[in-house]
Amino acid sequence: MKTLSLRNLGKTYFDPYAGAHVTAVHDVSLDVQQGEFVSVVGPSGCGKTTILNMIAGFIPHSKGEILLDGTPVNGPGPERGVVFQSFALFPWKTVLDNVGFGPKMRGVPKAERDRIARDYLALAGLSHAANRYPNELSGGMQQRVGVVRALANEPAVLLMDEPFAAVDAQTRMTLQEELTRIWQDRKPTVLFITHDVGEAVFLANRVVVLSKGRILDEVAVDLPRPRVWDQLVDDDEFKRLSAQVLQMVRAA
Amino acid sequence: MNLLLQMWGGYARMTRRWPALAAVIPFIPVVALWTIVAEAGLFPRAFFPGPADVVRSFVTLTYKGILPDYLQDSLIRLFVGASVGMALGVPLGILIGTSRWAHRICWPVLLFFQAIGDIAWLPILLIWFGFGLTTMTFVIVYTVLFPVVLNTVLGVESVPRDLGRAALCLGASRARVLWEVTLPGALPNIITGLRNGLGYGWRALIAVEMIVGTSGIGFMMFDARRAGSTVEIVLGMIILGLLWYVVDAWILAPLERATGERWGLVTS
Amino acid sequence: MRGAASLAGSAMFVAPLLALLAIWAIVVPLFEVNPRVFPSIGAVGGAALDSIRDGTLIAHIGASLLRVGLGTLIGIATAVPLGVAMGVSPTVAAFLTPLFRFFSVLAGIAWIPIATLWFGYGFGAIVFVIFNAVFFVVTYNTLLGVQTIPHTLRNAAWSLGAGRWAMLTEVLLPGALPNIVTGIRTGLGFAWRGLIAAEMIATNVGLGYMLFVARDFYRTEVIVFGMIVIGVLWLLIDRLILVRIERATIERWGMVRRA
Ligand SMILES: Nc1ncnc2c1ncn2[C@@H]1O[C@H](COP(=O)(O)OP(=O)(O)OP(=O)(O)O)[C@@H](O)[C@H]1O
Ligand SMILES: [Mg+2]
Repeated sequence: MKTLSLRNLGKTYFDPYAGAHVTAVHDVSLDVQQGEFVSVVGPSGCGKTTILNMIAGFIPHSKGEILLDGTPVNGPGPERGVVFQSFALFPWKTVLDNVGFGPKMRGVPKAERDRIARDYLALAGLSHAANRYPNELSGGMQQRVGVVRALANEPAVLLMDEPFAAVDAQTRMTLQEELTRIWQDRKPTVLFITHDVGEAVFLANRVVVLSKGRILDEVAVDLPRPRVWDQLVDDDEFKRLSAQVLQMVRAA
Repeated sequence: MNLLLQMWGGYARMTRRWPALAAVIPFIPVVALWTIVAEAGLFPRAFFPGPADVVRSFVTLTYKGILPDYLQDSLIRLFVGASVGMALGVPLGILIGTSRWAHRICWPVLLFFQAIGDIAWLPILLIWFGFGLTTMTFVIVYTVLFPVVLNTVLGVESVPRDLGRAALCLGASRARVLWEVTLPGALPNIITGLRNGLGYGWRALIAVEMIVGTSGIGFMMFDARRAGSTVEIVLGMIILGLLWYVVDAWILAPLERATGERWGLVTS
Repeated sequence: MRGAASLAGSAMFVAPLLALLAIWAIVVPLFEVNPRVFPSIGAVGGAALDSIRDGTLIAHIGASLLRVGLGTLIGIATAVPLGVAMGVSPTVAAFLTPLFRFFSVLAGIAWIPIATLWFGYGFGAIVFVIFNAVFFVVTYNTLLGVQTIPHTLRNAAWSLGAGRWAMLTEVLLPGALPNIVTGIRTGLGFAWRGLIAAEMIATNVGLGYMLFVARDFYRTEVIVFGMIVIGVLWLLIDRLILVRIERATIERWGMVRRA
């Protein structure tokens, strides 16, 4: 059982310009079970990115523990895949080579990793773009590549920090639907960070509300899958959950 | 006016089909003007040779084998110097760009030594190594090194931080990140650096050949200066210009554009 | 707070250079380096004092700066108006660009032999070489700059009632400024090197001459001192003048900054 658990996690930054310490994350404890999709919402500056960066290993944590399946993590590693808000595709690699990058790092031979990459590109409906460069794709397509690139490495957890914030509203809805579809298909463990309440509820099994570096509350989401916006916009349960989470975020 | 417009239209169509023509045709009126001024005898011939004289001297020197030899000497010096400069400059630039400590220590020193400039080293190099290949190579390496290092650092620093992180969390080791992310990310800037460096290096070579040389295009020109042979000076200048024009416009600039544009990176 | 931070920054910057000086101070006496190969700090200081006291340093610096200043000024004063004026017609600019590219490729050092032939050894030839280095590079860059100005900007000015002159001064000149500034920086870099080279070959005063004569007598302390002077002068020219111009214009306007 691969579970991600945060135990009393905290982060204090030193701000050299103000010459002061800033505590961005006070005390966060959270368990994410295998195959679970957890969304984290909270107002701007409440420490969402900081938490994700600590789990990813990009920055050290100041207190507490991050355990993956019981072992503490330090530094970035392939068992925690990250989807970036800025996409972070390698501009000098084709789409196929971007998706095949993780397997390449594991030493998978070229033919095999191309097969893996094509497989995942098909999952995202991007087979036709395999030989293009990221620069030649639309923003929505780029982020699809970003998602399958992380998935192709078969990480134990997928960490996503506002991955759809940089695309237009229509594309965002499509990407969200695709993500739920892919999740149902592959059942990865996902920690999804967003400040969009609707997005959080739409995607997750569980929504965690964060406030000023602490967990305020959490809400279970039992909406049926597959989830599509056409149905959910008028769904009473979806509306009720969204309103509930929104209230908590605004009170935060 | 109408005729002019028509001629321009024809020219525009022609250069669109054969872009290389745009680099050649503008020189026709210049050469014509040069011929007229030279033939009119406004200046003494010895001071101001015409195109015909230059072509004649080109044929003679080529026939004697002097010109090809000198050209070869100059090009080899430039090539060796540039290769060594790149081999030192790119790793150094990546080190400085990735390590804060290396940056702190090396940056001021680099700026200072860059400011001294290649040619100012010549006198002391002559004392150390005498009139010879070592001195020349040193100067060219020195000239190429700084633009390459400075631009490589700039390139490394301009690689978005998320790219390195993405590679790390896809399982790349630090060394692998250097090879897969840092180096390609900095490549457009490295090529810009090489281009600037060669621009300076090539000028330094001419200066060094004039002062130190026993062969090479710079030497040929300065030797001609001593003998008062303007024709050979002008010939040397034209060869230098053509050569660099070809290298820069047909090799370096397209290379710079090719890396930057397909990847959608901003090149300076 | 800010002041202290910038002071600390300066200290950080100077520290490696001081360390270099310290190494120099230790290594030369320790290994008893032959003064004909590399001078001690004391010898260089002595050479500095001597040249300051007998006025030769000022004479050399003055001669070099006068040549660079004059050549550069004439170069810029002719190149910028010419480049902008040619840019009024995009077709003319496109036609002439390869020509100026060719000559900017030659700019500077390659003109030394013919310049000395035309003007004789001395002031005229050197100023010509400097002028040359600046003129062609700046004209070429101005031409390039004029061509990168978006057509919509020209049309906007037109529709707002700009005549030819206003187009020149209000659109073309400022629009090409980033390239002009780059051109000046590059051109001056070529000119400075050209100056040192030309002074080694073609004159009897100036920093390049000072170095080259010292070589004849194996006076390494004079050479090293001269190199330091050349380095410091260029740093001053670059940081105090060129970088400031860049800051005040293109960076302020949010236009691209180059390496
Ligand atoms: N490197 C840093 N140095 C100092 N303080 C920082 C640093 N990074 C973040 N902070 C501070 O930590 C707090 C939390 O930042 P964080 O980026 O985690 O917020 P967030 O929840 O992701 O916000 P947003 O929704 O705007 O992305 C903020 O107050 C921020 O100013
Ligand atoms: Mg954030």
